[in-house]
Amino acid sequence: MATARPGWSRKAQYGLFFGLIAVIGGIVVGLVLLIMSLVAPKTFVTIRGAALDITAPLTGALHGVTATIEGLGSGAGNYWDAAHQNEQLKRERKAMLQRMVEAKAILQENRQLKATLQLRERTTAAVATSRIVGSSFSSPRRFAILSVGTSDGVRIGMPVRSPDGLVGRVIDAGATASRVLLVSDRANIVPARLLRTGVPVIAQGRGDGTVDVRPLEVGRNPFKRGDIIVTSGTGGLYPPLVPVARVVKLDDDGAVALPLADPSTTSFAIIEPPYEPAAIAAEKAVRDPETP
Amino acid sequence: MVRAALGTRRIGQGPLRWATLVPAATVVAASLLSALPIVSSTGWYPDFGFLVLISWRLLRSDPWPAWWAAPLGLVNDLFTGQPIGFSVALWSATMLVLDLIDRRTMWRDYWIEWVLAAVLIAINEWLEWQLAGLVGASVPFSRVLPPLVITVFLFPIVAWFVARLDRWRLGR
Repeated sequence: MATARPGWSRKAQYGLFFGLIAVIGGIVVGLVLLIMSLVAPKTFVTIRGAALDITAPLTGALHGVTATIEGLGSGAGNYWDAAHQNEQLKRERKAMLQRMVEAKAILQENRQLKATLQLRERTTAAVATSRIVGSSFSSPRRFAILSVGTSDGVRIGMPVRSPDGLVGRVIDAGATASRVLLVSDRANIVPARLLRTGVPVIAQGRGDGTVDVRPLEVGRNPFKRGDIIVTSGTGGLYPPLVPVARVVKLDDDGAVALPLADPSTTSFAIIEPPYEPAAIAAEKAVRDPETP
Repeated sequence: MVRAALGTRRIGQGPLRWATLVPAATVVAASLLSALPIVSSTGWYPDFGFLVLISWRLLRSDPWPAWWAAPLGLVNDLFTGQPIGFSVALWSATMLVLDLIDRRTMWRDYWIEWVLAAVLIAINEWLEWQLAGLVGASVPFSRVLPPLVITVFLFPIVAWFVARLDRWRLGR
């Protein structure tokens, strides 16, 4: 389609013209698809899941390779500094044991207090455990790919956490892979609270691997550097008391925090059912979830 | 015209059998790069699919029939997790725009190609940013600048690679 007029051949001229029509058709179809996926995100759930499944074996296999290489690197590093590290670990272990005894005592006390209050304890069994095998590369959105899907019981909307903290929630699910909206995505808003004072806050991703935290009540900035943010359980999707982020920088009415579960180093992610399924169902009926 | 017998290349060496499919296949492969097990928390990686697409199109006017951009864009949307339809529309529009530019430009050199590519990449990033804003993920534009700059500076490398591929597929 480069030249304006490909010569005297009628066939070539028509070919050029129909090529132009086809391209314009492509634009129109693209725009229609785009509007559909913005207005009704549910439309393409199946096909998106299928695409995830296609790339899953590739990603999974290559993940083994990179994990091995990374392991070789860090393994060699550990040997390099073994004596010093050993000493340090022993010291840490001693401190940890003390803390653990304290924690056990607190746990017991907590259980007794809850029993007296007759609070209903809700234990959530993990739906599946998975590796984080990939992520979004090049957009302002922050997604990660998990190596489990609907065949393992994963459903769209389920919260995902790791031993270190909250990872995000599932937004696309294929049969063998699923896509997670990370805590650091702008569209992911987590009801949370300050662990130190219990002040309710809102954690919202910044799209660059960090999260914004703001207090619900406007007033004095309640944050300090090093503060831990945990989920509050409000809204019923995320379970309470899951660590979310650590405050690294203060700004005028809030703070910037670093997610505790770094998706690039988290080895395993745990997918859990929504904390309050009833609340989620009621909420779903009111509004459409903001999936892309 | 150079006579075949006087040239240095081997006689009987022609284009590959599937030479017409190579450009489109490399675009799909570039889209598939997002399936690599790299977990990025900053999103500073370039949009490889788009980069390879414009590299081919700036190198030649006929790497594929222009309407192929739509299915190629669909593949990109599916593998990179963009809202479906975004790359379909954008890539088709890119083909159209480059056709119009081809008519207007009197001459081309490497710098013009690079500026063109930079403008197209910037439009791509800007639209991606706008779209993220539409679905509730509106970040400040300054967050999009690092990937934009990285992509612009990666273009010459990708263009060189695509030129090598082109020579390989045509058996030159």
